[in-house]
Amino acid sequence: MRVMQTSRMLAVYFWAMVVYLIFPILIVLPVSFSDNELLRFPPTAFSLRWYQSYFNDPVWVDATLISFRVAVVSMVISTTAGTLAALAINAAPKRLAGPLTYGATLPIVIPHIFIALGVFILAIRSGLTDNEMMLALAHAAVAMPFVVLITSAAIRQIDPTIARAARVLGAGPLRAFRVATLPPLIPAIVAAAIFAFFVSFDELIIAQFLMKGSETLPMRIWADLRLDFNPTVAAVSTLLIVVTSLAMGVAETLRRRAARTLAP
Amino acid sequence: MKRISLIWLLLPAVLLLAAFIVMPTFDLIRASIFDPDFTFKHFQRLVERGVYIDVMWRTVRVSLIVAVICTIVGYPVAMFINLQPKKRQVALLFLILIPMWMSVLIRTFAWIVVLGREGLINDLMIGLGMTDGPVQMLYTSGTVITAMVQIMLPIQIITCYSAMTEIDLDLMRAARVLGARRWQALTRVYLPLSYDGTLTGLVIVFMMSMGFFITPALLGGRQDMMIANLIEFQVQHLNWSFAAAIGIVLLVLTVSMILLLRWTGRFAFRRLLNVGR
Repeated sequence: MRVMQTSRMLAVYFWAMVVYLIFPILIVLPVSFSDNELLRFPPTAFSLRWYQSYFNDPVWVDATLISFRVAVVSMVISTTAGTLAALAINAAPKRLAGPLTYGATLPIVIPHIFIALGVFILAIRSGLTDNEMMLALAHAAVAMPFVVLITSAAIRQIDPTIARAARVLGAGPLRAFRVATLPPLIPAIVAAAIFAFFVSFDELIIAQFLMKGSETLPMRIWADLRLDFNPTVAAVSTLLIVVTSLAMGVAETLRRRAARTLAP
Repeated sequence: MKRISLIWLLLPAVLLLAAFIVMPTFDLIRASIFDPDFTFKHFQRLVERGVYIDVMWRTVRVSLIVAVICTIVGYPVAMFINLQPKKRQVALLFLILIPMWMSVLIRTFAWIVVLGREGLINDLMIGLGMTDGPVQMLYTSGTVITAMVQIMLPIQIITCYSAMTEIDLDLMRAARVLGARRWQALTRVYLPLSYDGTLTGLVIVFMMSMGFFITPALLGGRQDMMIANLIEFQVQHLNWSFAAAIGIVLLVLTVSMILLLRWTGRFAFRRLLNVGR
């Protein structure tokens, strides 16, 4: 149902803004298939040489693997800690829920550079620079607020009487949680995990400060953009654009579905 | 639920935040005022040198410009989505959400491809005979702001939109039925009801812009350095204590500007609509 007539001008404006948001990203795609050394547009001839140079260069491949490892560990930690915290926040007395949510989502308001610097100084003092686990934990702390927000929204939609019914029917608290509370939360938790993965996978500054000997993928891209500019970055970017879009499409769909099916 | 089990559920999150957010913050404060004895010399250096004041002032100014542009540009976008049928809203939101989750590094790189010497815009302009040689667009302040707005805009749109979904659109219809013109219904009903969410969006964009690092470094020149770039520069030159002092100033500046923006925002709202007297 059309609630209010929106003028055609507003529609044109909307699509112009969509172009502004998406067009620069799409431009990267054709450049990655260019055969030219320069970031020239339009590309002169089609080639896959920049994809070859990405997949054949151990520096790029290693960087990707490190980022992947760190992101998976960080995702598991932040999703677990964030989901548990969200459950606690929603079960807590009303007057505590507000302060707890503020506390758990605190890192969102702190600039990454500030966190990076703090973690860096901490790592120097404890001799833990260049440590992948340290980086994964720092990323987990940054990603956790998003997990709390997404899973909290889903938990609020759950009908608590189902878990209570399970308890009445003789299930212990853990079993009631497993059979009644957890299943409807799975889509939201998976969505949160995907977001958390990319928070870590895309993060540059904390990694830049913490890692010296080894490089994550954003660090490699960063170094390339600053020094010898070549379309390998465009090939990597294209791969990332495709993967991120697909993953985010899945995550958003799951999040929406969770919100819809759980609504009473 | 029992209090004990609540504490157990919260424990991993608390440990994570304590170890990687709270403790490092205290470490930063300590590093900025002990070197090795108690001293304010790092803060003094920061306020005494004109260059540093320039960087701080620029960071606040650029962030404010980006936040205001995002608000003005994003509001009609959010409104357009909110006025569509529900099914269509979901599809349109995807168009905003996908770029929002794209890596800032890649979105910044994309602007290099568009605006570079051999980039799309220069190619077009030369092709159309609008200019003889490539125009220098990278490493200028305008480019930094254009890209920052593009990167932050989805956040403003989504925040605005969430606030707008709470508005009962029947109120708009009622206003129209009672004889209000379209713009009257908009400014007297829709705008006041979405004001708070819009202000929240502005504050969030401002806050995130204050910590921007990648975009000014890649798209700006020396004259576009922001606080985060200054911190990185100092870390590379091993001036950790000084970097820590700058970090603290960044946080204090950000928080006080947020409070100021919220306060003036509320005040302006009351004056504008003559309510709450």
